[in-house]
Amino acid sequence: MARKTMTLNLTDAEMAVLEELCEKKDLSKTVLMRQALRLYQRVEERLDMGGKLFFEDEASKEKSEIMML
Amino acid sequence: MTKEPEITPVGLKRMSDGQMVDAELWDGITDKNLADWEAKWTPELLRLLEALHDKGIERALWPQSRHWDWRAKTQAIEKRLDEQCFSIVCDNLTQAMMITELTKRARLESQRNEHLVYVSFVEAAPWNRRDILGKPPDYSGCGSILIRAAIEFSKLEGFKGRIGLHSLPQSNDFYANKVGMTDLGADEDYDNLRYFEMTPEQAEEFAKEGS
Repeated sequence: MARKTMTLNLTDAEMAVLEELCEKKDLSKTVLMRQALRLYQRVEERLDMGGKLFFEDEASKEKSEIMML
Repeated sequence: MTKEPEITPVGLKRMSDGQMVDAELWDGITDKNLADWEAKWTPELLRLLEALHDKGIERALWPQSRHWDWRAKTQAIEKRLDEQCFSIVCDNLTQAMMITELTKRARLESQRNEHLVYVSFVEAAPWNRRDILGKPPDYSGCGSILIRAAIEFSKLEGFKGRIGLHSLPQSNDFYANKVGMTDLGADEDYDNLRYFEMTPEQAEEFAKEGS
């Protein structure tokens, strides 16, 4: 699949988070940013359809809504 | 869909003479594939369902994928970044199709919450389906090629070969015993279909068997 290259400017704090997530998930920065974009697109699609985003506690089944800006 | 797919050469076993024949793995489902589905798969599937009906085989034992509408499925995900389609073409005909998803996480305890490639839908052409033909299929090997494609895609995306899927009942044995995935049991949140997952180590084992 053809790819295009871009430069991404991040603050030190943003870069630190990116590197921490890459370390935790054992993923490259490119893979992680592409995954983040996929998730963002999917969440936007569901919100546009009138959906809400929740996290559910596996044990208690308690749900908390994520407020999207 | 108008995008030209990337093509990888693969081989299928032609069951009429046991010869391996050249086939192509496409990284997409194109208008040609959907035309094959409408003009070739659908009439053949109806003919086979009629034969099952005439034999008195109950509907519960008919292939569960008989309602799948590949045009609707591919249209629904056309612009999504988290879905990737694949197809196999041989003898100028689509022999199998698959849709994968990239935003699901692993459930196996040893892999919990790691990313994987989830196989949402996979189906072989009716003439390649041993389960409904009652005789050898035209071509053998479509399922293994598509699972290998999902594993390679998983590696390419940095997910180390991890894949997951919910299996239709007629395919449970294939995923458990031929592919070597771990059976995590019936998923009550998914029509009680059995959920299977493959670890990076299992992916390596499966790749070795095919080499």
